[in-house]
Formats: sequence, C-alpha cells, structure tokens
Amino acid sequence: MDASSARFPLRVVSVLLLAAAIAVRLLVPTAPEWASGLILLSAVAVGVMAMSRRATACDGAPRALQRRYTRDVLLGMGAYTVLLFVSLLLLRSVEAPALRALIALLPVAPIALVLRAMVHFIRGVDELQQRIEFEAVCIAAALVAFAYMTAGFLQAARVIDVPASAAMLWVFPLLCGTYGIAKAVIARRYR
Amino acid sequence: MKSRVRELREACGWSQAQLGTRLDVSRQTINAIETGKYDPSLPLAFRIAREFAEPIESIFLFEDVP
Repeated sequence: MDASSARFPLRVVSVLLLAAAIAVRLLVPTAPEWASGLILLSAVAVGVMAMSRRATACDGAPRALQRRYTRDVLLGMGAYTVLLFVSLLLLRSVEAPALRALIALLPVAPIALVLRAMVHFIRGVDELQQRIEFEAVCIAAALVAFAYMTAGFLQAARVIDVPASAAMLWVFPLLCGTYGIAKAVIARRYR
Repeated sequence: MKSRVRELREACGWSQAQLGTRLDVSRQTINAIETGKYDPSLPLAFRIAREFAEPIESIFLFEDVP
C-alpha cells in the first residue's frame, strides 16, 4: 500500500462521518443538536488527520504499521458512527438511569480503540516522526486547554452559554483536528 | 549539526530509502539528517557510523555556537 492509498480510507471515513451527521439531522429529529455537530466535528478532525499525513513524514512509516493504523481508525470511527446512531435511538425510549448510562457510553468504546491505534502508531514510527508527533500532541493539548480556559472565563462571566455536555464532547475532536494541523506545520520544518 | 551522511551514502551508491531501510528509519529521517534539519539520537548516530564503518566524530561535525 503506498502513501496515497493509505490516506484514502481516512478520507472515506471523513466523508462517511459527514454523511452520518446529515443523516442524524434528517432522520433522527429528536436527537440533540450536539449529536450531528459532534459527528460533523469528528468528520473534520479525521479529514484534517488525513490531510496532515500527506504533509508529514509519517508517509515514511513502515507500511504494515500504516496499514494497521488505517484499518483500526477505519473500524473504530465506523463503529463509533453506528453506535452513536444506536445510542441516540435507544435513549429515546429508555428511562432507567443505569441502562441510560450504559447506552450513552456505547460510542466511547470504539473511540478507545482509535486512541489505542494512535498510541501503537506513535510507538511504531521512527525517532524523527516520534518527535513530530510529540510536538504536535503538546501543541494541540496546550491550544485546546487554552481555548477551553478562555471559554471558561467567558462562561463564568455569563458572556457565552455553551452547554456543558457539548463542551465536554467536543474536546476529543478538537484535539484531533488541532493535532493534525500542528503535525502538518511541524513536519514542514524537517522536509 | 553538519554531517557527511550524504557524501558517504552516495559513495556507497545507496538511495536515501535504501539507507533508511538498513537503519530501520524512514527516508524522510535520512533526508532531514543529511540536510542538517534533524540531529539523530546517539543510538542512531552510532548505527550510522557502524553502517559506514567510520568513527562517529568523522561523520557528524559538531559546531559550537558562540
């Protein structure tokens, strides 16, 4: 598998997530507004990750590692989209708190698999790529924390009013998107 | 840090990708070392020296910044 075909499934995942966001909006009218927004943000995050791989040295990662990473992200994000649908549909009819908690957490499991795939990928690449990943993760974490702290002050001053659930759910997609952009910028230094 | 990696690699007739495979790193890493954009770790520097059968200090030329 060459670099371009390795990127292809991530782009497909991004498009599928985009379609899922539209489908949730149209087919599940009772779904909370954040649901389609979250899927849309996930689509953007995966899209940015796919684009950043073009600009970074990870094109030079071992092919088996790239293949495994792409496969795991593909499976994880696919399962996430399906389970989010299932979760939203089931939450409409289930009232028992314990069961609602279990159903609400369904989409979390595949995200954990995606995180595991990211850790495996970072551990498997060479030292230059690890440095790029490390810098990108640090910068993304700092930027997202900074953005949240800024928003937190505005929220505390009642200037903005972002629902807590939406704010918490957007942390991971924001982190992925910022990480992808940071990686593309940092990798340019070593080209 | 300047290095003679490119000169030694070309003398051996290897491409960047071939040297990368021999050292178990990516072609991009070899390119970054050759262009002085990335200083390799000590273990990688030793592997490079062993690959070219040269002392490490004859491959990597340290320049003290005043």
